[in-house]
Amino acid sequence: MLTDHNWILTVGVFLPLAGVLIMLFIPKEEESLNKAIAIITAAVTLAVGIATMAWFKYGSDSSKLQFHVDVAWIPAIKSRYIIGLDGVSMPLYILSMVITLLVMIYSWDHIPEPGNAKAFMILMLILQTGMAGTFVAQDLILFFVFFEVVLLPMYFMIGVWGGEQRQYASLKFFLYTMFGSALMLVAFLALFFQTGAQSFSLEYLYAHSSMISTNVAVWIFAGMFVGFAVKVPMFPFHTWLPDAHTQAPTQGSVILAAILLKLGTYGFIRIAIPTLPQAAVKWAPVIGVLAVIGIIYGALGCLAQTDMKRLIAFSSVAHMGFVMLGISTLTQFGINAAVYGMVAHGLITGMLFFLAGSIKNRYHTLEIAKMGGILKRIPRLGWILGMCAMASLGLPGLAGFWGEFPAILSAYSPFHNDYVHLSQPLFRTLMVIAAIGTVLAAGYLLWMFQRVAFGEASPLIAGDVDADGNDLHAGAHAGDHAGDHLVGERGHGAVPFSVGAAGNADPHAEVHDVGIFEWIAWTPLLIGIVVLGAYPDLMFKVLNGSVTKLLAPVQALTGK
Amino acid sequence: MSQLLRSYLTVAMFGAIGVLLAALLLAISALVRPNRPNADKSKVYESGVDPIGDGWSQSQIRYYVFALLFVIFDVETVFIFPWATQLERYAGFGLLEMGIFVFVLLLGLVYAWRKGVLRWV
Amino acid sequence: MLSTLLASDVVAPFSSPKIDYHALAPELVLAGVIVAVLLADLFLEESKKWVLSTIAGFGLLAAFIPIVTLAVSGHRARSMFGGAYVVDTYSLLVKGIFLLAGYVVVLLSQNYLEEGDYYQGEYYFLLLSSILGMVMMGSSRDLVTIFVSLEFLSIPAYMLAAWRKRDLKSNEAGTKYYLLGVFASAVMLYGMSLLYGDTGTTILKGIGAKLQNGSMSPVAVLGIVFVIIGFAFKVSAVPFHNWAPDTYQGAPTPITAFLSVASKAAGFVALINLIYVAFPHGGDVFQPMIGVMAASTMTLGNVMALRQTNIVRMLAYSSISQGGFILMPLAVAGGKSSGNALTAIVTYLAVYAATNLGLFAVIIAVSRKTRSGEVSSWGGLFSYAPLLGVLATAFLASLAGIPPLGGWVAKFGAFRAVITSGTNWGYALAIVGAVNSVIAFGYYGSLMREIWMKPVPDGDTAPIRTPSSLNAALMICGGATLALGVVPGIILRFSDIIKL
Repeated sequence: MLTDHNWILTVGVFLPLAGVLIMLFIPKEEESLNKAIAIITAAVTLAVGIATMAWFKYGSDSSKLQFHVDVAWIPAIKSRYIIGLDGVSMPLYILSMVITLLVMIYSWDHIPEPGNAKAFMILMLILQTGMAGTFVAQDLILFFVFFEVVLLPMYFMIGVWGGEQRQYASLKFFLYTMFGSALMLVAFLALFFQTGAQSFSLEYLYAHSSMISTNVAVWIFAGMFVGFAVKVPMFPFHTWLPDAHTQAPTQGSVILAAILLKLGTYGFIRIAIPTLPQAAVKWAPVIGVLAVIGIIYGALGCLAQTDMKRLIAFSSVAHMGFVMLGISTLTQFGINAAVYGMVAHGLITGMLFFLAGSIKNRYHTLEIAKMGGILKRIPRLGWILGMCAMASLGLPGLAGFWGEFPAILSAYSPFHNDYVHLSQPLFRTLMVIAAIGTVLAAGYLLWMFQRVAFGEASPLIAGDVDADGNDLHAGAHAGDHAGDHLVGERGHGAVPFSVGAAGNADPHAEVHDVGIFEWIAWTPLLIGIVVLGAYPDLMFKVLNGSVTKLLAPVQALTGK
Repeated sequence: MSQLLRSYLTVAMFGAIGVLLAALLLAISALVRPNRPNADKSKVYESGVDPIGDGWSQSQIRYYVFALLFVIFDVETVFIFPWATQLERYAGFGLLEMGIFVFVLLLGLVYAWRKGVLRWV
Repeated sequence: MLSTLLASDVVAPFSSPKIDYHALAPELVLAGVIVAVLLADLFLEESKKWVLSTIAGFGLLAAFIPIVTLAVSGHRARSMFGGAYVVDTYSLLVKGIFLLAGYVVVLLSQNYLEEGDYYQGEYYFLLLSSILGMVMMGSSRDLVTIFVSLEFLSIPAYMLAAWRKRDLKSNEAGTKYYLLGVFASAVMLYGMSLLYGDTGTTILKGIGAKLQNGSMSPVAVLGIVFVIIGFAFKVSAVPFHNWAPDTYQGAPTPITAFLSVASKAAGFVALINLIYVAFPHGGDVFQPMIGVMAASTMTLGNVMALRQTNIVRMLAYSSISQGGFILMPLAVAGGKSSGNALTAIVTYLAVYAATNLGLFAVIIAVSRKTRSGEVSSWGGLFSYAPLLGVLATAFLASLAGIPPLGGWVAKFGAFRAVITSGTNWGYALAIVGAVNSVIAFGYYGSLMREIWMKPVPDGDTAPIRTPSSLNAALMICGGATLALGVVPGIILRFSDIIKL
């Protein structure tokens, strides 16, 4: 068995917890040591991830579940510890590791108020375990457990380290998601009993989906739909997202946008559609319509925003709308595009949130109207922002394009076989509206970029920024929070690394351009955006086999 | 479903009858009894003597403790007598059981003794 | 027993009943420890009273030993006194839960009593008596035995609730608990007498054989309804819950923990005994009733908890609402998911005991410093007592049912049971439960928010010093809560094989 290297997934998923264990014994005053251990843990985890990629069998084998482990876990409820990786989960699994590491590196000199790097890093490591676990779980109960594990760390990350409205935003995030997952759990159980109460294993459920009558399946699907749609988030369930994103610290926003949202779409692809194909066909038009409403609504929402972070958050609603549109076509083409879109959105929007965080650090505001002339003051950051905005609006040659364009295209010819077909006129209408959505996307992103980047450099908000771009306010609240003296220490620790990163000829050069840790954290994402944009087949090749396999139950529908 | 309703109907009817019965008895007695109020009748009853002081006056706690002790050992005899009449029949087993019983009660006496209940002053 | 006495011929030769001393060993050990505690209290000097809690604690652990030996002895069921007292896997499991929960309560009580200057000997004496009553309840399979066990466990609890005798609220707690408890006993006894009158036996198995769906006499229906109402008081199910918040708030905190965990569990154990052995064919009568009670209990408990500003009172309503979740599987007992429902309830009781006791341990620890029971007194707990903060968060998350902490296994089992029944009732109940588990996070989350996100109210960030017994309690509960969530097999492998 060891020749399959199948231990590697378990190690990859739980390694971050080992880092947590070590950190528990280190006093929180040892700030740098805590951060270093966390980063090393994340790096080693990523190394394990890369080894996984290396051992992963590509080609026709990529559709198979690899590194498959199947051992007893809770025999009493017939739930087993089944994990495995196939072409659809692999990119997301690796993405979660990459993002976590980058976010941690970024955190080296960007621990948000009120400090306490130890707790912050521990939460991120726990998040990493939850996210990676969700992508490899092949048993519904295991999936559910990992799916829920990410909730609390994110709740605290927003609630403790977030902005002004953090408590409201965090609770809203939590209640929405929990409502969804409670119904999802009920749906999982119903699915389990409708298929003979034999197993929670996905493989078994795929094979026995036909045991469920369509009427019942539609209801079970409804439960899952709510659970996953809240997470995505789809149109009527999206209201937690702008609040959560706006209030979350940069790191939280990045993880939320890059990975957590994908748990929802991944759930549709991995669980809801293959286990309940007969219901998926009934629900597809609803999903499609809601997805397109999301696209348009998100875009219009963006146009109305004055806050940069909130704008990016609304753009997430729109982008996830494209992903869901691709999924709702139930075609191989559409779902390939959807997974591609998930990864691309993870890279691009993650990057945008990083940028927003860094701008906030320097300008102490995200009001688009108060910025301007970023290109003059901090040109490198400005150009990166420009590139990400282009990628986000779906410029061909960058990653965003390959998620968006095929998704729209797939709606031209939605799923049909000899017995069942989705309404072609409906989906073609949706296609047209979605295409209008891309125009709107170009509109708001360019408008945002124009107002932020061009023009005369706007005056800084005086006295808020020191030479490192660190927040001088940090000390002002000292005494309110126990961990605050640490914030002061952080300033000193950061100096040696940030000096020299300046390269700005502007006379008001109090603001630093991109710092060393920002470079380390961002470069991989930027490279990813370009590479995936230039050579999309890199990923489509990995995806395609698995997508075909996941769609097989839908293909086999006979309409009875 | 009808079976279900029938089950609970029983309970509802039972409750209704209970309430009705109480109401009926009160109503009948109210109708039948003579009604002749006088001042003595509205007094608080206290051994036929006019009440002195307020209702919250303190009484010596020892009366209470003694009464409790008395009840314990009084009840003990209630159990011991029937056993004594059948002493031979229950033989060794009965003796053992009664021994345990008396031992536990004895513990109560020891407790009362150590806590100073048995001293009056 | 009563029935056998009445039926037997008076002059027939007497043969002493066969007593399986091994099966009774836990009860006997406990009884011995009770006597030891009482005597030790009488002859110990005031400065040495701490010995009492040690005796009580070790006594409870000693009583646990025979449970283990019984479990490995291999007998599936040892029946005594004509079926009135049965020691089987189920009763061993619940007895184990009672004893361990009792042990944790002793740990919680130790410093609370010493520092609060309360009577110690009587306290442990009553506490152990109550636990003995619970242990007996696990084996009771006869109306009279059940009633005796119930009074045995309740009467000491009435006194313990009023233990802070100079505190008006504690007096209120004891009085309310006593009056409503006695009222419930009366209703239950009435129901029992009706059942006895209808079936002619007090042995539960005998009653079960006589009561059949469809052909049940109205008297039997009344009996079932009254008995269940009696126990609904005990487990504080809506609409019989009114005593719980006042009692919980007024009672000494360790006793509140004890009432909300062990005493409530004992009520459920009694309900299980009755429903599974005496009314297995009475589903038509009790299922809708318990279903409605479960739904309203969890909903009302949750909604009321949202409005509380006192932690203990909030937890009182939380425990009412959790009671609704435990009732949920009972609403489908008797159908095809009977086995699942039994597993679910016992699992829930175990998980809930570990979690709730742990949370009360945190409350006791924190109030040593803050001297306050208000939710706001927990502000910034994480910043000056990180370990307590994290533990409290874990316990709250477990109560809210968030993996990987124990609570999710419990909730999962409850959902599984109602959904297996395959009835519309079951699905409706599952949806109500799902919605409620979200509402519940409203107040569990508000406590977490205090711990993590609010400033320290009086700016006093001195760390909290917890005595070793409290630390032990925290570690036991924290470890159990996490272990039950990650490897649920450790409880499920036992609760899955139990049968009644």
